[in-house]
Amino acid sequence: MKRKKWLSLLSLMMVIALMITGCTTAEPVASEEPVVEEEIVVETVKIGAIFPLTGGAAATGVKLKYAVETAQEIINGEYPEIAFPMAENAGLENLDNAAIEFIFGDHQANPEIAKSETERLIQNEGVVGLVGCYHSSSTKPASATSERYMIPFVAGSSSSSALTERGLNYFVRIAPHDGMETEFFFEYLKNLNENYDADVKTVATVYIDNEYGVHANMMVDKWLEEVYGEEGFERILDVKYPSDASNVDTEVLKIKEAAPDIIFHASYINDMTMFANAYQLYEVQPKVVISYCGGFQDQQFLINLEDAANYYSGSNQTIPAIIAANEALSKANEIYKAKSGVDFDGPALEDFASAMVIAEAINMAGSTDGDAIMEVLKSEEFKAPYFATGKIKFGEDGQNEFSASAMTQIIGGEYQNVWPGEDTTSDPVVAFPDWSTR
Amino acid sequence: MEKSITNNKKMIGVVLLIILALPIIVQDNNFRHIMILFVLYAALGEAWNIITGYAGQTSFGHAAFFGIGAYTSTVLLWKFDIIPWIGMLIGGIIAVVVAIIVSYPAFKLTGHYFAIATLAIGEIMLQLFVSWEYVEGATGIMLPIKENGYKYMQFHPMNKLSYYYIVFGLFVITVITAYIVGNSKMGFYLKAIKENPDAAQSIGINVTRYKLYAMMVSAFLTAIVGSFYAQYVTYIDPFMVFPLALSMQIVLITVIGGLGNIYGPILGAAILIPLSQYTRIIFGGTGKGLDLIIFGALVVIVTIFQPNGLVGLFENLFKKIKKKEAINDGKLHDVS
Repeated sequence: MKRKKWLSLLSLMMVIALMITGCTTAEPVASEEPVVEEEIVVETVKIGAIFPLTGGAAATGVKLKYAVETAQEIINGEYPEIAFPMAENAGLENLDNAAIEFIFGDHQANPEIAKSETERLIQNEGVVGLVGCYHSSSTKPASATSERYMIPFVAGSSSSSALTERGLNYFVRIAPHDGMETEFFFEYLKNLNENYDADVKTVATVYIDNEYGVHANMMVDKWLEEVYGEEGFERILDVKYPSDASNVDTEVLKIKEAAPDIIFHASYINDMTMFANAYQLYEVQPKVVISYCGGFQDQQFLINLEDAANYYSGSNQTIPAIIAANEALSKANEIYKAKSGVDFDGPALEDFASAMVIAEAINMAGSTDGDAIMEVLKSEEFKAPYFATGKIKFGEDGQNEFSASAMTQIIGGEYQNVWPGEDTTSDPVVAFPDWSTR
Repeated sequence: MEKSITNNKKMIGVVLLIILALPIIVQDNNFRHIMILFVLYAALGEAWNIITGYAGQTSFGHAAFFGIGAYTSTVLLWKFDIIPWIGMLIGGIIAVVVAIIVSYPAFKLTGHYFAIATLAIGEIMLQLFVSWEYVEGATGIMLPIKENGYKYMQFHPMNKLSYYYIVFGLFVITVITAYIVGNSKMGFYLKAIKENPDAAQSIGINVTRYKLYAMMVSAFLTAIVGSFYAQYVTYIDPFMVFPLALSMQIVLITVIGGLGNIYGPILGAAILIPLSQYTRIIFGGTGKGLDLIIFGALVVIVTIFQPNGLVGLFENLFKKIKKKEAINDGKLHDVS
């Protein structure tokens, strides 16, 4: 009997709850009283920042977080000595000097969590813009979600060109995409053949089996077929490895057997370190190893491998030598280094730029409205003294048209700028010296 | 004969009503998102329970069926503009076919070997889809944006409640199926097979056939939930829908909740999903992995103090209350 009573009581509670819900409306009820418009003073503008703060890429994700925090510190403080936009005065001038606050989310390198975090930041935290997510596979669903809410998304270091091929209206990207990077790589190789008698022709691609790696490999196919195949370059090997690989001996032995002149790597820091160790172990002797934006650009690569890191190369937005030559960037780097313990690397600078640009766009719009911010992002040219190009301008598809990288190579235990232009710090070194002599 | 709480239809109905009402009462989209995940994982646990909880065949590869469901409806929508409801059914049927093909030989294995075989099936599916260009391999598929409404299971701007109604409907289907299977002749056969397959065979039960039936039902239900997941997330890649971690999460939820019991997956999901989501929301942004530490510690505590699952705890409580009632009514003497 008692149980029946309990069940009846529970059922009654459910009915009451449902009735209350039915009576509740999410729409605001129009008041008959005249509405007195009050000027709303924005004290803090919230922006979401989603990175892989735990999981396999956590070490990189945390550095990107520090980069965004550095931008926040510069925007909210007064740094007249740093000649960057938004640095001189505290906060957003056109919004009554409102402060910027970056709210961080952790996507754990999981696209589903990236989507959930995007929704949470938009709905619960009330962010008016988003930056992130490093992994292209996470940026994809996160930016698709922000599109639905009409919230601008400025991607810093995600490189898959598919991201800017979706026709999204609320998405822009700072970093060069993998299509641009691949073309840049082949031009560099042509330069090596023409000016340094490198005689490099055969290519192997080594890539992780996710959006970033697979798409980079597709871009090699595309450029070989359309342009560089006719110029003598030939792909002789294609090595895809699993993202949770704990040993790459089999892959490296395949590469050793094929003996390519050039290896293109699309790998994160952990995999890149594993491959580099295995290349040394099995004495793999390519002439050139070039990395897409990822593991090589992380200074941890040099720390992990020390001398064995020499002669690897890759596209990069910055290296310590470039930072040292730029006074304002050096000062910003001091703030970043105090947090992270290392200098800015390419991805960190790109995510720093994404934070600076979205803050500047909000300031220029003088509003936190998504459409107003996007209007600025799509129409204005942003000063970016922290980049070699000095400016950022987003095209119709949202891609930064000035995202030109430098080719960098580790020589003598330091990242050197080897091509192109007059700002190079060293000549490139072609061919890995015999491992037994190193 | 007194029915146990697990077979009490009214009790099940009340529990379902409460689950249905919560996101209607609490008008917070983040809470609704967590409720969607809770119901989704509870449904997956119910489906897994049929093959493992009832039939005693431990499967560590249910992500394979989940992924098949997700990919089937997605590819049919993306390439042929077939509505996800039909894709969901086709996905379920394909999962059943795959379940038959892989389970029939696997059922010849017993104990740990069957579990290892299912583990391998999940991983094989993952590698197949990573390399399969027709379904975009590792780069995944972004679902095309279609008209708003139930027809395409798409709601713009994000209407969580509509998604919730759909997943709740699927959840009810899995609960009803689990109830029917558990209380049917087939359910008793499965329990007999679980207790002692040789004895079951000796009394005339076709052991392989009934295990196969259980696997087919389980695979179908898992696949339709996978289809819903793809529509909800709007982007899938093989690492999202075929990972070992997903199979393990289904196992963890059901084992912590209680095996072979309708309430087990519900309780397990009700604890683990909000726990994992809220710890991530609160601590995830710190970048120190605190959310994972707290989540892991709580899972260990529950496992240590309630190894038979949370359902066991409630059943013991229920029995104690019944005993007290009986003592008070004078039907039993208190001998303590």
